[in-house]
Amino acid sequence: MTNARILGSLRNAFLFFALITVLFPIVWVALASFKTAPQLNDPSLLFFEPSLLNWRFVFEAGILEAAGRSALVAGITVTISAIAGSGAAYVISQYKAGGAATRFGILAAQVLPPAVLVFPFLTLAYVLRVNDTLLPLIFAHLSFVLPVVTWFLIGFFDSVPKSLEEQARVDGFTRFKAFLLVVLPQVYPGLGAAIIFGFTLSWNDMFYGLILTPSRSAILPVAIAGFNTFRGVELGSMSAAILVAVIPVVIASFFIQKRLVQGISGGAVKY
Amino acid sequence: MGTVTLEGVHKAYGNTTIVERLDLDFPDGSFTVLVGPSGCGKSTTLRMVAGLETVTSGSVKINDRDVTALEPKDRNIAMVFQNYALYPHLTVLENIAFPLRATKTPRREARVRAQEIADSLGLGKLTGRKPKELSGGQQQRVAIGRAIIREPAVFLFDEPLSNLDAKLRVETRSELLAIQKRLGITSIYVTHDQEEAMTLSDRMVVMREGKIAQVGSPAEVYGSPNSVFVATFVGSPKMNILRGTLDGTTFQTPEGHSWPLVSQHRGDVLVGLRPEDLLLTADPAGPATITQIELLGPRAVVSLQLEGTKLTSVVEAGALQGLSRGGTVSLDFRLGSAHLFDPMEETRLPG
Repeated sequence: MTNARILGSLRNAFLFFALITVLFPIVWVALASFKTAPQLNDPSLLFFEPSLLNWRFVFEAGILEAAGRSALVAGITVTISAIAGSGAAYVISQYKAGGAATRFGILAAQVLPPAVLVFPFLTLAYVLRVNDTLLPLIFAHLSFVLPVVTWFLIGFFDSVPKSLEEQARVDGFTRFKAFLLVVLPQVYPGLGAAIIFGFTLSWNDMFYGLILTPSRSAILPVAIAGFNTFRGVELGSMSAAILVAVIPVVIASFFIQKRLVQGISGGAVKY
Repeated sequence: MGTVTLEGVHKAYGNTTIVERLDLDFPDGSFTVLVGPSGCGKSTTLRMVAGLETVTSGSVKINDRDVTALEPKDRNIAMVFQNYALYPHLTVLENIAFPLRATKTPRREARVRAQEIADSLGLGKLTGRKPKELSGGQQQRVAIGRAIIREPAVFLFDEPLSNLDAKLRVETRSELLAIQKRLGITSIYVTHDQEEAMTLSDRMVVMREGKIAQVGSPAEVYGSPNSVFVATFVGSPKMNILRGTLDGTTFQTPEGHSWPLVSQHRGDVLVGLRPEDLLLTADPAGPATITQIELLGPRAVVSLQLEGTKLTSVVEAGALQGLSRGGTVSLDFRLGSAHLFDPMEETRLPG
């Protein structure tokens, strides 16, 4: 065997190991969601008569409503982020707005632990009488989704030649029209990826939801955590609820994986 | 229809002057080429006419209307960029028709006009393609099509040919000239290539460090350059410059070489000689040594060393006999071909 082939097999072995590590918990959760309470005590049980009891319980407990609220929060958050973020990313990329530091400085808020930010949000929500509604949650989510979406898009705008906007301005359009009709279409793939990426970030966040919307308008991750009751963890129901949360993300990631790598590695759209 | 007038146009970033108090007229229908080495302010001047760059002081007028403070879209101009700046997400037809979207032209009419222009540029069969599916020359023509569809007052070209290979560049150059003559639209063209400037322009403007070095027809600029800079910038290979003194009938270099040169001017002088005006004769006792011979088909460029000075001569390929690398030659000036320059100011001297 040549060196290249040894390296190849090593790589495959490593990837296989990584795949198992990632897939194992998901498979385990999927199996658990179809098990009855007694069967759950036997983790090694692979073949059994699937039961839909957990699923029925989860749906009756209002998991879909929680998922709906999560989708609403994520949808609004990401819409605002996409509109404000694409404009911000463009001026940071092409006009060096805010200087060179803005490029990465925009992520500075990420350095703060959410625990620092959540208290002001909560106080503000109380004062404005909007506590335990989705509104403060949307603002909280914007605090990390908007910077990430903006940062993600900067790389895509970097690869749009500046002459494109100038050409459109000479061709008779205002700066804004030039941006909208000519520059923005060049980053549609990146924008799509950013939207899915931002949606996932908001969808997966539990911390802000737990504190800002603990009861009446609990979002999906909070509802899932609710299966950790005083009687112990309701493993079966929780597993079913987890799958409800995970499946959309897995499907979304499948669509954006290529753009995701591109965005994170600085973006290089070829013309 | 369009005249462009620059009055005292000045551009500076802080203390750095890019373009210095430029006064220039571009008559209706003229084809003017701004040429100069990189950093001479020619592109900035063009972009100030386009409105893509603000003017520090002075004014830009198009058809006697002051457009200094207007956005590019309100100046009735069209521009072709070096990289063509075709809209990658649009087809050829949509690219050509795009400026008409700004004027709210009905979609059907826009399509018909774009198709006519595409046909006239030989792009008729490619209208459904995206720019990246076209060759460089075709992309270039789409950019020109998009520029002419609005029937602008002025065409602006920013080194539009420099991304093409040599052969295509020459072809496109003559096409471009034919289109401009047919439409009669005032054109301003920026290039760093003096050969391109010579072949395209009615009038060339040689620029240096933000100022105009010389304005004139290519024949004037080539035939009587007003400074050493223009003399050596225009023409290829570049003009030879020899330092020496004149006494009315002969020119003598400090090393003691002399040639007959009749002139009213006396004293220290710089003599400029086009390479084709420097004549060589094989001579074992000659003062200059051949360092290199480059054959360019019918002619050859001969590089010479005369004491400390490097000289170039262009000779007919047939006259190369007896000349070889390392050989020595004697030099003669073609009668009446010497350009005289002031040794301090480097400006042209009469006679």
